[in-house]
Amino acid sequence: MASPCVARTARCLSASARRQTASSTSASSSSLRATNNNSNSSSSSSKRAYHSHEHPPSPPFGPVDRDILAAAYKHVPEHGFSLRAIGLGARDAGYPDISASVLPDGQFSLIRYHLVAQRERLADRSREVLLKDEAPLSAAGVGEKVAALTWERLMGNKDVIHRWQEALAVMAQPSYLPKSLAELAALSDDIWFLAGDKAVDPSWYTKRAALSMVYSSSELFMTNDRSPNFLETRQFLHRRLGEVQSVGSTLGSVGQWVGFTLNAGVNVLRSKGVPI
Amino acid sequence: MSAPSLLRSRAGLLRPTACISRMNQRLLSTTRQPRSSEPSSTSDRQTHFGFETVTESVKRERVAEVFTSVAESYDKMNDLMSLGVHRLWKDYFVSSLNPGATNPPGMPQRILDVAGGTGDIAFRMLQHAHVNNGNPNVHVTISDINPAMLAVGRQRSLALPASHQSSLSFLEANAEVLPSSLEDNSLDLYTVAFGIRNFSNMPAALKEAYRVLKPGGVFACMEFSKVDKYPLFNAIYKQWSFSAIPLIGQLVAGDRDSYQYLVESIERFPSQTEFRDMIADAGFTIVGKGYEDLTGGVAAIHKGIKPL
Repeated sequence: MASPCVARTARCLSASARRQTASSTSASSSSLRATNNNSNSSSSSSKRAYHSHEHPPSPPFGPVDRDILAAAYKHVPEHGFSLRAIGLGARDAGYPDISASVLPDGQFSLIRYHLVAQRERLADRSREVLLKDEAPLSAAGVGEKVAALTWERLMGNKDVIHRWQEALAVMAQPSYLPKSLAELAALSDDIWFLAGDKAVDPSWYTKRAALSMVYSSSELFMTNDRSPNFLETRQFLHRRLGEVQSVGSTLGSVGQWVGFTLNAGVNVLRSKGVPI
Repeated sequence: MSAPSLLRSRAGLLRPTACISRMNQRLLSTTRQPRSSEPSSTSDRQTHFGFETVTESVKRERVAEVFTSVAESYDKMNDLMSLGVHRLWKDYFVSSLNPGATNPPGMPQRILDVAGGTGDIAFRMLQHAHVNNGNPNVHVTISDINPAMLAVGRQRSLALPASHQSSLSFLEANAEVLPSSLEDNSLDLYTVAFGIRNFSNMPAALKEAYRVLKPGGVFACMEFSKVDKYPLFNAIYKQWSFSAIPLIGQLVAGDRDSYQYLVESIERFPSQTEFRDMIADAGFTIVGKGYEDLTGGVAAIHKGIKPL
């Protein structure tokens, strides 16, 4: 598979090109592509077992909520991820004020819109990110690609970083926590996939778990980072990824040693005549 | 007086075989005052009344009978049957709709609360809009087909602050054929709480809701629903509703049959997904999965939005 970035062709939000009432400059619209994705919102259980090229995931937003949220997203820097931003967005999109109340999760809908939009933007930009440097990262290891993609995703929070702590507080509420974690899992899965990782051993889980931890702690660090261009966040991210790698290789060595010792122990016992 | 005898004849309908054999015998045996609302063209079509199968016009009359009989004790019974939880559901329903929150603040909104006779939802709407959101330009119309329920609501509304009373109006109307005084595309919000399962012709009522709502207006419905997701809880809930509720009705309201009808009609009401599809069939756009379970699905809030 030469180009992992063609994966998951139909982006969920891209179907909105069919009906863009108020937008055209939504933060995510640069990457919105028209597809023949018939966005039937009524039964969108966005379950996705694996990255399939032929069967794109059902879109997480229908036409109405996408219109409202896309318009509301522009009010986030000023009004935060709040019901007020959603109300203003509904008005911008041409809906009466009451229509904001159909969004099933209130302000969390807007946060989830941000998460989904940024995750899809990452998939669209991944080729660019990976080919940006003169020495193309495609030659480099998967680890460096993961670092580059994670950094790119963190930069997606740049415009709303002053509102991100309150968003994290909402995401941590018990009723929204499962959806937040699912979105985090989808993000780290995407990053590993886009970086070209094809492992099918138990490291599939540890890689995703480790990246989820690194990403969320870097995100939290970034909310308090005042350095130019978030330089300290970048250093923080690379330190954490380095730690994960060293812990990973240490664990691998320990595992190897344990395996060898157990094997040798069994053989010693066998040589003594124990029927194993 | 033959109405009591008819009611009595419905006792014991829990046995499913009984209801089919008995269904058409005595339904038309009583004479009643003709209802003020005009009958819809489908009034001889089959529908169901609890576990019985009756024509739509008969269902309308018998639902009227049930609610005339329970109007007085309605609140007390709701508290006992739901162990007080119905108040939480209603509070949550209203706050999730957030009426009166407009940009800029204070823009007018028109709300129709159908089957809202006793005012439970409408009074909460006014409280939320006028006090919580500080928007006195929200007007609520309470509509009910049953004058007895409306009378209870009128009586209770006298205890409201004057500003709330002035934003409230009452309308005796059949939700399947709303009067022409409710113009097309005129309402922001159409609510029906624990009412729609009593309608004889739900698709017609949904079509009417679609007609009177503005583009972008919201249809919101709270109704008893299915607990199929949690089999153990479902078993307890079924036991409660088929054994305890008719008994409470008998002891407190002195009317077992009306509450027997209540639990049967809950049982016959479509599941969350079926009802959501009915809302979509009426033309509404469904956002997300389209419904929200309360107390594991004992009740569910359905919402639809009229597309622009």
